[in-house]
Amino acid sequence: MIDFVSVVEQESAKLTLLLNLIEPRCGGVILTGERGVGKSALLRTLKDLAKSYNFVYLPLNVTEETLLGGIDLEETLRSGKRVFQRGLLSKANQGFLVIENIDLFPPEILSVIFEVQSRGEVIVEREGFKIREPAKFQILATLNLEESDLSMHFLDRFGMCVYMETLREESKRREVIKANLFESFAPEGVKALAESVKFARELIKEVQVSEEILEFISELVIQEGIFSHRAEIYLYYASKAYTALLGERKVSEEAVRRVAPLVFIHRKRYFNVSRDEEVQPSESEDKKRSEARATNPNQEGGGDKREREGGKEEQAQSEYSSGEARAENVTSQAIPSSGKERILPIGESFSVRPILFRRDRKVRKITGKRTKTKVKGRGGRFIRSTLRKTPDIAISATLRAAAPFQKVRGKKDKLIISEEDLRFKEKERKMRHIVIFVVDGSGSMGVKERMSITKGAILSLLKDCYQKRDKVALIVFRKDRAETILPITSSVELALKKLKDIPTGGKTPLSAGLMEAYKLIQKAMLKEPEARFVVFLLTDGMANHTITNRPVMEEVELICKFLRDLPSTDFVVVDTENKQSYIKFNLALNLAQALGARYILMEDLKRETLHNLVNRSKLGR
Amino acid sequence: MIYPFTAIVDQEEMKLGLILNVIDPSIGGVLIMGEKGTAKSTSVRALADLLPEIEVVEGCFCNCASEGPFCSACLEKIENNENLSVEKVKMRVVELPLGVTEDRVVGTLDIERAIKYGEKRFEPGILAEANRNFLYVDEINLLEDHIVDLLLDSAAMGINVVEREGVSFKHPARYILVGTMNPEEGELRPQLLDRFGLCVQVNSLKEKSLRVEVLKRKIEFDDDPEGFYKEWEEKQIELRNKIIRAKELYKKIPITDEVIEEVVKITSQLSLDGHRADIVLLKAARAYAAFMEKTSITWEDLEKVAPLCLRHRLKRLPFEEISGETEKLKELFRSK
Repeated sequence: MIDFVSVVEQESAKLTLLLNLIEPRCGGVILTGERGVGKSALLRTLKDLAKSYNFVYLPLNVTEETLLGGIDLEETLRSGKRVFQRGLLSKANQGFLVIENIDLFPPEILSVIFEVQSRGEVIVEREGFKIREPAKFQILATLNLEESDLSMHFLDRFGMCVYMETLREESKRREVIKANLFESFAPEGVKALAESVKFARELIKEVQVSEEILEFISELVIQEGIFSHRAEIYLYYASKAYTALLGERKVSEEAVRRVAPLVFIHRKRYFNVSRDEEVQPSESEDKKRSEARATNPNQEGGGDKREREGGKEEQAQSEYSSGEARAENVTSQAIPSSGKERILPIGESFSVRPILFRRDRKVRKITGKRTKTKVKGRGGRFIRSTLRKTPDIAISATLRAAAPFQKVRGKKDKLIISEEDLRFKEKERKMRHIVIFVVDGSGSMGVKERMSITKGAILSLLKDCYQKRDKVALIVFRKDRAETILPITSSVELALKKLKDIPTGGKTPLSAGLMEAYKLIQKAMLKEPEARFVVFLLTDGMANHTITNRPVMEEVELICKFLRDLPSTDFVVVDTENKQSYIKFNLALNLAQALGARYILMEDLKRETLHNLVNRSKLGR
Repeated sequence: MIYPFTAIVDQEEMKLGLILNVIDPSIGGVLIMGEKGTAKSTSVRALADLLPEIEVVEGCFCNCASEGPFCSACLEKIENNENLSVEKVKMRVVELPLGVTEDRVVGTLDIERAIKYGEKRFEPGILAEANRNFLYVDEINLLEDHIVDLLLDSAAMGINVVEREGVSFKHPARYILVGTMNPEEGELRPQLLDRFGLCVQVNSLKEKSLRVEVLKRKIEFDDDPEGFYKEWEEKQIELRNKIIRAKELYKKIPITDEVIEEVVKITSQLSLDGHRADIVLLKAARAYAAFMEKTSITWEDLEKVAPLCLRHRLKRLPFEEISGETEKLKELFRSK
């Protein structure tokens, strides 16, 4: 054990906590940082510093019932009257809800918490209860960045955020060791600090904020490119609390500047801002391209060669695009001078935006973290009561079933419940999927390092699969065939190795790739009848090699039809075509329609997260 | 104390979407899409203060109108030749919280009465409460699938039929669905999306003076909610009265063949699914005309409400085409 004052350094983290003790309207804190940096340790020291405050700790195994409140079983059975048991959130009223490792909590639970927080009231509408209780609280949380990413939407609910860094300086590191080994306490220091917090709480009532400072606050927010109006509101209260802590009565620009980074770090945007610019075809790109063409005649040659090869596809695709435009495209694209295969490195990876799949009706035993399913056995979240026998009795429903007969059965002081009254809980839980990546490795993917970006996208999706505990497989199609380079496995690491070595070059046997996926799924279904499959098809949709004698597109459509008939299988087409280029075919879109697939542009897989923000700010933006 | 509606800075489209639904509840609700921290929830909760009174059957838990349709309880009274007296109650914003259970949405057996008197009586759920009121779902895209199914089912029929635990009950469930969502958090099921009459897009304010105003009002409200409300009370009353006048007026505004023609002219040029768009566009334009205290629908009224009615129904295929359709819509009005 250690106390607040003895925690070495981490001044920003400490400051955010103090400001929240002084003025709860500062909106709570999320502490993030590497493992073992002392996030939770710091939070735990708060209790001693702020003895008069109400801290409620959220246990990891919390259920919706314990969060919101629910039926008090013992009392209910005894009295035959529904008795309500208060939930954690209403107990946190006028205090702080402490969530350690917020990344480990299921998003459904967090949604409920934030919803209650924004309303300031618990509304219980479950198991026959209809109760409202005040629940005004702030959240203090720790977040481990490596495990998972909390969405920006959730982050915005926090007033402040601090990225705690491991101390690199030797002397500081020694101090940390000593402080922890010898359980250093500074009771005097803690007492003094508690006094100044108490003093600041009184003083803040007198702190003045001038018109100029209000404008200054908005200016800062606009400058940082932050959109959420919460930024100003939290910055206002933080500046006020900070001023009070300093023992001053007037908020200064310096005070605002000092606390601004704590309010801003998790609200900055890096991705969507440039959205509009991205859509514009960039002039310099095109200039570069024409320059490249002028200086490297070999590329032209490669292009011509490819055009000759693609004679067949020309005819097949004339219904989608005019032959003329196509020819122009082929020549303008810079085909690697060798025209042969090469291995492109894995591009930048990112956090993947959530891609949701609908629940189906199967009852399973599978675990995982992607899509909800009804479950056999214990565990899972109670959704409704049913007559069908499951291991869990639904008390409230059972009582309701028994209730009308109590008089007839001659109830005295205890309820009389018989076999036919029993109702059971139908539960659901999240399951993993089997995710099959079907990757286009043809020559067109080598253009402008498209394959590099694609590999980065796959890597990102693989990471997402790891977090959702999915199994994965990899299929590559190029030249004249498709190949399963990685059979279904739970080893994402193995997938990573294989991913690196995917070569690029040659024709595009799209239908062979689809066929390979079809066979793989059919085989896997025999082994795992409960499984759900997702096929991620990464391609620009251009096909120019067949496995039968049919025309290219007809063959593709035929196989798509087979694939659509597969049960428990979803499709996602990730369009790898460079949409910044003037000439686009959007052929992947047709493919998505034929498959009944979700259609996503590769660039749209990204999502904004704190992880990105922190990485960027560490790199000096 | 709830933050007053009229004190919300700017966000006119969102306010209009809500107001139009108060004027004509058959417009079919509004979906509010937008970034974090843009007063989405605040606006919906603030709406409650502006809502007018409606006439309901006295003591009816699902606010049956005196002219019907009736719930099972009211029907029973009618069969027994009991008189249905009428009372006035204020319309409300009923919330559907995340984490709600199915029995609380549709209603179930009243357990205490059952034990005490051996009587099977229906205990109404949220859908009953929401009849002829606003039903508000915050973060509607995060709502559990099985609850969404219940909403879709009752919204389609306008009735909630309960057959469970030996109780059998039917009541009208015509609510005005209001949902808020941040699209970055996940998609909304297309079926549910289509249920919404209107869809508005909220963005954070970019101008400094407006942002400062937001901050100032919020601080003022935090410091003294009652005093702040008093400051805005006059504006609130003014708006409430304007809405009540429009409610009386809108049905008197004629829907001429010319107007219908213009609506069809707009909708036929866009790629839309189904006919819901035409109807909603017409109703919204009429409600807007009434709100502006006019006696006929003009092209300007259509132009004003068209984005709200059509935004979420435009076919969404590749990304270029969304803006393409929106452009077309703008073009349509510009050419006039």
